[in-house]
Amino acid sequence: MDSHHADISENQGALASPDVAVDVKSEQLSLQDPRAVLSLLEADQVVAAKRRTHFGRKNLSSGTKALLWGLRFYVVAMLVIVLISVYQAVHAAH
Amino acid sequence: MDAPEKNPSQLAGQTAHPTTESAVASAAAPELIGLVTHEDVDRARDRWEVARARWKGRTKTFGGIRLLWLLVGPGVLVFLGENDAPSMLSYSADGSRYGVGFFIPFVVLTFIMGFIVQEMTVRLGAVTHRGHAELIFDRFGKFWGFFSMGDLIFGNFLTLVTEFIGVRAGLGFFGVRPVIAVGGALVIVMAAITTGRYWTWERITLSLAIFNGLFIPAAILARPDWHAVGHAMLTWMPFPGGSRYEILLLILATTGATVTPWMLFFQQSAVVDKGMQPRDINAGRFDTLLGALLASVFAIAAILATVPLFHHGINAADFQAAQFAEALEPLIGHTGAALFALGIFEAGIVAAIAISTSSAYAFGEVMQIGHSLNRPLREAWPFYLTLFGSACAAAALVLMPRFPLEFVVLTVNVIAVLAMPPALAFLLLLVNDPEVMGEHVNGFWANVAGVTVTVLLIIAGLGFGLATVFPKWLGG
Repeated sequence: MDSHHADISENQGALASPDVAVDVKSEQLSLQDPRAVLSLLEADQVVAAKRRTHFGRKNLSSGTKALLWGLRFYVVAMLVIVLISVYQAVHAAH
Repeated sequence: MDAPEKNPSQLAGQTAHPTTESAVASAAAPELIGLVTHEDVDRARDRWEVARARWKGRTKTFGGIRLLWLLVGPGVLVFLGENDAPSMLSYSADGSRYGVGFFIPFVVLTFIMGFIVQEMTVRLGAVTHRGHAELIFDRFGKFWGFFSMGDLIFGNFLTLVTEFIGVRAGLGFFGVRPVIAVGGALVIVMAAITTGRYWTWERITLSLAIFNGLFIPAAILARPDWHAVGHAMLTWMPFPGGSRYEILLLILATTGATVTPWMLFFQQSAVVDKGMQPRDINAGRFDTLLGALLASVFAIAAILATVPLFHHGINAADFQAAQFAEALEPLIGHTGAALFALGIFEAGIVAAIAISTSSAYAFGEVMQIGHSLNRPLREAWPFYLTLFGSACAAAALVLMPRFPLEFVVLTVNVIAVLAMPPALAFLLLLVNDPEVMGEHVNGFWANVAGVTVTVLLIIAGLGFGLATVFPKWLGG
């Protein structure tokens, strides 16, 4: 691969083939060829690829679930306290 | 270029995993060739500019500067967007009620906390190419996903209302009628978001955000005691006197002025929309650090600008934006007061753009519809409708007579910091997940820092809760 071609990917084995590589020395860019577009993006940056692939569900330990529920109750309790605080502030002002 | 979608033979049902493989070299390339969209083309064009700058940077002394210029954006925007109207008013309240002292180094500490948190979103976005809401739904399911979304949408809407309050009050100093101020702000928001290019939107919003620096000349005109400022930075003294309940409330509001849930969702989605990749993570860290640095300087300037009110014994406890500017005018001059008012207006506008964008990103990710600023209006109208619709709804409330605006302003920053712990829990779980992050998973010290920030926020929230329920404990 000539040095003036974009080293697009971290993975040296996955460089774009020369006939679709985009030339960073050139001032002009033509993206009419979809392979040129794909050579500039990582596999999971393409919109179609992202729509069809998803990270699977994580198995949460009981400790993690307890933590998430605890934080959820914390937020609800704090919101109630905020409402009390605002009521007291408005009540005191009047 | 937008070809009809083909039967998903290679891609359907595949589990995502972190990869730096070029799309053209991937196994799915033959299928993807026919599915390239307008959004992909725009993103590829931005990536070409980055690749070109990276290549040029190898041979020219200042070549790296262009690369940084191209990659700076989400971090600066998130922090300058967080220096929004209620935040700048919190900082102003710090200065007017307690002068030069504790709150100046405290603000710096809050921005350090903010950097620790936001840096993780850069890595998440660059590695997974997915927004925060989408990742939470993917990894934790709809139940927790909708809880997170609920916090975000609720908090964002309240905050949006306060931004338009700031817009109205900032321009009110110049005699602009509320309906014109708020309507004009909506026109600016509309103009910024309908460019059809993420890059253009980003540069327009950055150009507006840099005016957060208007607080610097306002602070200079206040003629602060720089020796006292230096002393405060080193010693955190003097510590504020008076009601400990009010001090705790202001500490919480000041913290909420820097670290809020919408920032997590916004920066990660912006990193994704910008097309950043793992090799850009260091530039993303620089971008985030630059944003935190600029925002902390502007925040300190807002504190210093209102210190004259403290020295003259003016009670600014219930001041809103316009009242600060009016009270400052005889003390720092009309120019200084005008700069302050313009700064509040700018803070409201930029935050309105950023926060409504974060809501639209999250909505689009969850509903699996187009959610990119690289998409034209006709292609992603639900995304743009969410973005502009939330701004319009908030603006309408601000114009309603007898709407309890004071209630919203009092609570918004406090609610933001109270809602952070669950948001940070999801962030830490994601960024420590090797299936999601690959080699970019959090290291030991990053986890120490992240957990410390979370614990500090929980302690601050609990302190506020106890002080509210048992006010006599803190002399409230």
